[in-house]
Parts: sequence; structure tokens; C-alpha cells
Amino acid sequence: MAGVPARNVAVVGLLGTASVVLIAVSSLLGGVWISPAVVFAILVHQASAGALGPACGPYPSASTACTIATEIVWDARVPSIIVALFAGAALALSGGTLQGLFRNPLADPFLLGLSSGAAMGTAILFAFGIFLSQQAVALPLFAFAGALVPGLVVYAASRSSFRNPETLVLTGVALSSVFSAILATFLFYNPSGGLQVSFWLLGSLSNETWTRAGILVGAVLAIGAALSIQGRELNVLQLGPDVAHSVGVETSRVVRRLILLTTLLTAAAVAFTGVIGFVGLVSPHVVRRLIGPDYRRVLPCAAVFGGIFLLGAWDLAQSVIPTVVVPVGIPTAFVGGPSFLYLLYRRRASSA
Amino acid sequence: MIAKGAEGISLELAKGAGGISFEHVSVRYGDRGAVHDVSLAAGPGEVVALAGPNGSGKSSLLRVATGLLVPSEGLVRLPDGSAVGELSSRARAVRLAWMPQEEPVGDNVPLADYVAYGRYAHFSPWAGPSASDAAAVARALAEVDLAGEGDRGVRELSGGERQRARLARALAQETPVLLLDEPTAHLDIGHQLDVLARVRRIARASLRTVVVALHDLNLAARFSDRIAVLSHGRLVAVGTPTEVLSPELLERVWGIVAEVRRDGATGVPYLLPRLPSGTTAPRPVGAPGPRVHVVAGGGSGASLLRHLVDAGYDVTAGVLPLFDTDAAVAKELGVPTAVELPFVPIGREARVELGRLVEEARAIVVAPFPVGPANLANLETLVDAVGRRPVALLAQPSGVRWDYTEGSAEAARRRMVDGGAVIVEGVDEAISWLAALLPRRGAGPSPGPEEDELNLERA
Repeated sequence: MAGVPARNVAVVGLLGTASVVLIAVSSLLGGVWISPAVVFAILVHQASAGALGPACGPYPSASTACTIATEIVWDARVPSIIVALFAGAALALSGGTLQGLFRNPLADPFLLGLSSGAAMGTAILFAFGIFLSQQAVALPLFAFAGALVPGLVVYAASRSSFRNPETLVLTGVALSSVFSAILATFLFYNPSGGLQVSFWLLGSLSNETWTRAGILVGAVLAIGAALSIQGRELNVLQLGPDVAHSVGVETSRVVRRLILLTTLLTAAAVAFTGVIGFVGLVSPHVVRRLIGPDYRRVLPCAAVFGGIFLLGAWDLAQSVIPTVVVPVGIPTAFVGGPSFLYLLYRRRASSA
Repeated sequence: MIAKGAEGISLELAKGAGGISFEHVSVRYGDRGAVHDVSLAAGPGEVVALAGPNGSGKSSLLRVATGLLVPSEGLVRLPDGSAVGELSSRARAVRLAWMPQEEPVGDNVPLADYVAYGRYAHFSPWAGPSASDAAAVARALAEVDLAGEGDRGVRELSGGERQRARLARALAQETPVLLLDEPTAHLDIGHQLDVLARVRRIARASLRTVVVALHDLNLAARFSDRIAVLSHGRLVAVGTPTEVLSPELLERVWGIVAEVRRDGATGVPYLLPRLPSGTTAPRPVGAPGPRVHVVAGGGSGASLLRHLVDAGYDVTAGVLPLFDTDAAVAKELGVPTAVELPFVPIGREARVELGRLVEEARAIVVAPFPVGPANLANLETLVDAVGRRPVALLAQPSGVRWDYTEGSAEAARRRMVDGGAVIVEGVDEAISWLAALLPRRGAGPSPGPEEDELNLERA
């Protein structure tokens, strides 16, 4: 409470530097190679709304090459970078909040069955072949709605008398298997939809647009801000709901609010990126190791870290195999899994 | 002594002063009632202990007071007239602080942050903690003797320190009423006394009201102004420790037989519990078995006495000093014992009593007890008995000094062995020796008197 330790300043500096470097690197990656001079000229020119520098650096401003490069960099890569940063932030915030709320280090954004809900939502499209022409709009909507269903059922349960945290988690687990069963039924009806569903579930940032980025940014900023100020309540909740109640936390109201906010936040990320694992689980743990357990700092820092993590994974997804973009959920798990194990065992060793 | 209605006590107190009154509170868990119509009031500066066996409703009552449990009937009222159940969380948390019996350890946050959790209701998230919050935390830490330790992580605290940290968190709420549920659980005796003395001092100094659930009646008697005794959810007695702690009540509520004595210095009553009547070692039913006399001391005969009683022998013991471990075991087992005052040589009366017990016994077993001038007479009396009665001596453990009589004890034992006493290696061997000599009831066919005589002759 007394002053911010130098360590925390260093961590914030590190996160800031890492995000700037990663954004720069990411803007260079993609199916087409565009030289850094052109890319950065486009970024500066577009970000300043045309006020600064030439439109395309070395390229003539009105050339076709310039138009295409601008389209690729500014209308495809930049929205993907923004979606990666904000979806990662959303997942990390949800994961960190649910870990604190349920006092369970294994909690992730999909703890309450949101991934199966989203999968079921998209399976409706793929299995029945409906709205295929309006996929760009229909897919996020169905995923969002599907993810909301289990979250809202748990939220409803938390308003009832079944509000003990273990019951809520188990409610999520039970719903998850019900939705998986519904999903399986749909795919039984149309097996070819299964491949589409599973690819979609592995996550992609390839088809982002400014509209999608804008919606996600708005949602993450609004909900993220509401979540980040609950750090004090989450801190006290670590001592159990009874102690929290006794010092004046409206425990049941806070629990309900957090479930609702994390459900909305996760569903927003899932709608645009699919179900990307590990970001929400790992980010809060890494941040806790860096700056300690205080949720007032863990939540905002985890959001930044989650954004960096997902962007880094997206860069890997674009560059590990030339000309192929692997689903972003693959590198998050490939990198996230081993680093998580490393953290886990290093902590064991140091605490032993 | 009789539960007094809350309305009997005036609670016209200024807002901020201590005071709490339970008015006809009942609690039900499903079909089962946990608390039945309890009315109890505590005033400013008063420490009221809730006592009662496990499951008597102490914790439930405290949880009702914190608003964690909604009573099925009745309410808890504060001096400003508000009922706990109608207060907002924040309003309640600045009036009542609660320290639970158990809580999760939580994260390894600095102690100062942990104690500051108690200030949650005192400042808004927008304003942040003020200087008065920091001061309250520092005061609370000082009150539990943890001043200057604010930077340590709570997981690095010892069990006693953690308990005091929990108390500090409740104190930091700076509420007129403190509800403490077994605040001394997990503490060693030194910290038990320390924590309760602090609680009492805090109550007195700032006119707070403390309601504390305590298992330990001696601690309750020492540190509370009044004790409220609960049994099966009902208030069965309220009053000063002297009024409440009677042997009758202890037997009725806890089912124990206890002697209530009075501390000479403070006048506070304290208890010397005995095992509940009727739960002493089950005496074998039917006719008593053969009489066996045990000579022991200092705990050397405890196991032997238990085994002999269990095996159905009619056991006597002595001479033992009063308060000796073996004497306590003998008393617990209901074994008639010749006793002498502690630290004085065995006197004539005790010696005569020992002679009588030895004459009445069919066999004598001598435990490997340490012998000094005070109890040497035990061995000397037995020397005369050897030859008239079968005697077994349990072997003295090797390498342990037992003879504090400059050889007299050793000599007495040697004379006994010379006179026909046998040496047995341990309790089991002693039991088999007796079994061969004096068949027990229930172990094979009952021997006739002749056979019995015969055995005696042979020995």
C-alpha cells in the first residue's frame, strides 16, 4: 500500500515494451511480404489520418501497389492485431476473475461451460447449413449466443438458493456435457459440419475487420473496466465468502456480478476468435508470479499480458509453417502448456 | 442462573457504544433446530462467553449476529435500535466484526494488506484508503503485538501469529461489537491466555462488547464477565462464572463429573474434570475375581493396573502417594488403594493398611517403580509377605536408575527373590504368571476351592 515497489514499475515497463515490439513484428507478418519501410509508413500515415508522412513510404502514393499494401496492412493485419490484443485481454481477465472467484487455480474462462455452448451455437449453423451466405455476421452472433447460454444458467443459479461456489462450478460442468451432447447430435445429423466446427473452435484471427475489432474493443473496454475495479472484493473473497461478508462485501451480489461480467466478456472474445485455450488459464498465473497476489494489480496486468500472449501466439501461427496459417489455439497450447509446467515445477522446487 | 430476557437489560446507549441483544432467536437447518428461542444481552465493556458442548449452537448464534445466518424467528438488535438483518453489508460491517473459527489461508499478501481487509466497509473504492484507515490498521497490529510486522506475508506467519492477525483484522473494523468464535483454537496455552487477556483489555478500554464462543471453561471463567451456557441450542444458564459453573450444571450439560475449585489469587472458579460417571473402565460383571494386590508408583503400574482390571481380577493397590499417576489411574479404575501424603515417608497407618491388603490378596505384583526413602517401606513390608503369598516382581528396566536408597531397595528386592518371589519381564508375563496361578473368571472352567488351595501351596 505504501508506494509502488520498483519491481512493479519494471513489470509494467516490460509489458509495455513487449507489446510495442510485438505489434511491430506482427504488422510485418502475413501471407504477403511487404517491406518494413512500407509497412511502418502506412501505419504512421493511416494512424495519423493522413497527416503524417507519405502514404506508402518508398511506393508512389497513388500506385496500385500502395493501395493493395495499405489494404493488407491497415485493413487486414491491424484489425487482427487489435482483435488478438483485446481477445487475449478478455480471456485473461475472465480467467483471472474466475480463479479468484472460485479460489481455484485451474479455473479458466470456459470453466462454466462457455466453450461447449459456443460450439453448440456454431454447430447450428454448420450442421443445418443455414445463414451460410451471411456467415460473417451470423457466426459471431450464434457463437456469442451459444456461449451466453451456460453462463446465464449459472448466473440464474447464483441468484437462487444454489449459490455455493462449488455448486456453481459443477453446474457449469454438467451444462457443458449437456451442450456437448447436443453438439454431437447436430453433427450426427450432418457429419461434415464437424470439421468446420472443430476448426472454428481452434481459433482464428485471419478474417478480422475494423468493424469486428471495433465491437470487440468496445465490449472489452467497458466490461474489462467493470471487472478491474472488483480487485478489492476478489482479494477479500480469498478468505472465503463468510469472511468477505463479515467485512462488508455483499458477497452474493459480487459473485453474481462477476459471473455475469466474465460470461459476457468471454462470449465476446469467443464470438470473434473461437475457443482459444490456455491464455485465460496461464496469464493470471504468470502475472501473479511477477507482481504478487493482489487482484487490484493482477487483473489489469493479466489483461495486458493476455493480449501480448495471444498476439505472440498469432505471430507464431502465421510463421511456423510457410504459407500456412495454423489455428491460433495450437501455438497457445504448445507454448502455454510447457511454460505453465515450468512455472509450476519451479515454484514447487523453490517452495520445498 | 436462569436465562434472562433481553428486555430486562436496558440498552439505551449512544450510537457507537458497544451492546448487542439477541431477542428470542431461533435457527433451523432444514428440519433440525440449531438454536431455540435464545434471548441474551451484552452491554458495553462486557465480555460474554458462549459455552456449551459441540453442536450446542454457539457458532450458529454468532453467525446470526453477523447476518450470515437468517434466524427463523427473533432478531439481533444493536444499541442504535437497528436489527442486524435489516442493515446493509457496509452498515453491518462497521457495527459488528466477526472472527470465524476457521478460514481459508488465502494468498500470501502482506500482513498490513490482510489487516486492511477489515477496513473494506470504511472507505469507498473511488476514494481509496485514508490516513485514518492506515492508522486503524497500525493500531490493530499494535493491539495484537504485531506492530512493525506489516510487510511480512501472511503465509509466512506462525500459527499463533496468524491467529492474532485474524484478530487484528476484526479489530481493524473498529466496531463496537466483536464476535469471536473460538479465538484460541490452535493456540498454545501461552497464546491462549495472551489473546484473551488482550481481548478483555480492549473491551474494557474502549467499551466494546465482546461475545466469544469458548470451549475451554477455565478460560471462559477467567476472561469473561458472564458465561452463557448453551445446551442443544437452548440457553440453560447465564451469569457470572461463579454463579454458572456448578458441578450440577457441568454434569447436566457436559455429562462430566468435575470439581469446581477457586483460584486463591483471583477468586475465579476453575474446574478439575473427572471422567464422566459411568464411563470408567467397565467393571467385570458377576462375582469379583481373585484378589491381586499391586505395588507401584510414578506411573510404573498404570498399564499393569488396567490389564489386571480388564482381566477380571479384584485389584487393590498401594501404598501410593496422593496425586501420583498410578494413584490417579487406580482411582479412575475404581481400584481400592492405600494412600499416603506426597513426599513424606509411608507412615504407620498406611503401612497397616498395606499389610491388610497384602493379607487379603491371593497374589502380589510389584511394578518396576523407582524407590526412594519415602516409599521404601512398600518393599520392606513385602519382604515379610514373601513365602506367605506368591509375589512377582516386574524386572526393573536396565540402564535406568531406580534405586534412590543407597542399596536398601536393591537389597530388599534380592531378599524377596531369595524368599521365593519370581521375576517377570513385563506386564504380559505377569498376567500369564497370574493366569497359571489364579485362573480367572471367564478363562476356562471355574476352579474349585481345593484346586485353588493346591495352587497356592505350590507357589
